[in-house]
Amino acid sequence: MNIENHNNVCQEEVFSFLFNAHSKAIFRSIFYKYGNEEKAYDVVQEAFVKLWEHCAKVTPEKAKSYVYTIANNNYLNVLKAEKVRMRYNNSGLEKDRTQESPEYLLEEKEFQQKLDNALNNLPENQRQTFLMNRVEGKKYAEIADLEGVSVKAIEKRMHLALKTLREQIDGI
Amino acid sequence: MKENYLAKWLNNELSEAELAAFKETAEYASYQRIIEASARMEGPAYDNKAAYQQLQAKLSGKDKSKMTTGKVIQMRPVRKLMAIAAAVVLMIAVSFWFVNSQEETISTLYAQSTTHTLPDASEIILNAGSEISYSKKKWDKRRVVSLEGEAFFKVAKGERFSVATDLGEVWVLGTQFNVEHRDEYFEVTCYEGLVRVNFNGVEQELPAGSSFLAINGKVIPVEGPNADGPSWLNQESSFKSIPLKYVLEEFERQFDIEVETRDVDLNQLFTGTFSNTNKELALQSISSPSRLTYDLDGENVIFYAEDTP
Repeated sequence: MNIENHNNVCQEEVFSFLFNAHSKAIFRSIFYKYGNEEKAYDVVQEAFVKLWEHCAKVTPEKAKSYVYTIANNNYLNVLKAEKVRMRYNNSGLEKDRTQESPEYLLEEKEFQQKLDNALNNLPENQRQTFLMNRVEGKKYAEIADLEGVSVKAIEKRMHLALKTLREQIDGI
Repeated sequence: MKENYLAKWLNNELSEAELAAFKETAEYASYQRIIEASARMEGPAYDNKAAYQQLQAKLSGKDKSKMTTGKVIQMRPVRKLMAIAAAVVLMIAVSFWFVNSQEETISTLYAQSTTHTLPDASEIILNAGSEISYSKKKWDKRRVVSLEGEAFFKVAKGERFSVATDLGEVWVLGTQFNVEHRDEYFEVTCYEGLVRVNFNGVEQELPAGSSFLAINGKVIPVEGPNADGPSWLNQESSFKSIPLKYVLEEFERQFDIEVETRDVDLNQLFTGTFSNTNKELALQSISSPSRLTYDLDGENVIFYAEDTP
């Protein structure tokens, strides 16, 4: 669907298109920043309710950053940051069991634990940028757009995130 | 090595020579391993369809007319009624737009301030990142200005003049005063005459040379100003025992810059002044009394606690 031809968020098809296109990314982005799945889900739902209520005032092009800003603000207003626990898909590792020794698997799990801890120690913005890029595959420009900062600022966050992760994992 | 080279590396933006040099470093293997491990990470589950259904349930509870999923069968009398209703809605909308268009709004961006004269010659000076609005048409009857941000008022003598913010209201007769409202921060300083502050339903009179401050709904006793106008009129930002958080936010507004902090206690109180024109000087004025160090890079600045490595 081409949203340019439907410049009214009040139309249900436009609204549902926007929801399907953006709600997941916004939800995960908020989760990576603050670490509570349930609350992240709730603030995103609330933000879309707000979007619907103000549908006449928000253009489809602005809707994504509108919802993200509201969800982010709502989160900041009521809640404090919590730990981000990442899940790993280790099926690839375990399938290779014939080639990989049990020591290797154990070591890899330990490494994941260290990485998790290091991620939790990162500033919110850096953790969010890192995970949006690495897990969600978002480009720097897309993250910059969502956060309302320059691409250079995102590159800086990414650089610092990776640098700090390594320093913590290597125990420097 | 190149600035932000790790970010460039992930984006395949390093040249062959740069990449080769990077691979030579002792850290390369660790970086590589982090990227491999993070590739196996999975985001939390999210079901678009279920989430949308849940949202629809919420919306239908609020407003049934707006979102209907069933098929609408129209009948003639209903259609006529709809036409009348639509005409009425249109008329209301047009008149609403007409009334609204009489609303005057003046706003400033970050790193910007402006002076505006009201219809009765009262003067308003807006600090960076602020907005005021008022009704030009009804000005003779009601002198009310809504404010988001910070502004200094020089009020012409006349009927009651008031400034409305989300957190509280300020009423005055001819006088000069400053109002700042940002998120949960509400401060009023009276420089001349007398103002009355209404905060959470409690009224308080503020004579010349005194201030009122409330943060997060709590009234905090403060000393009055020691100048005859707010410091920002002289391109400076002054603070007396104000949480560092608000100081850094003001810094962001004055220089249109993004501030990040690491291991910094944002609730520690800051007393001091920073320049609104000289960034380097301002950074030093903020960092040294708070025992912070900083790292300035274009439109970004990061503050660290002095004892972090």
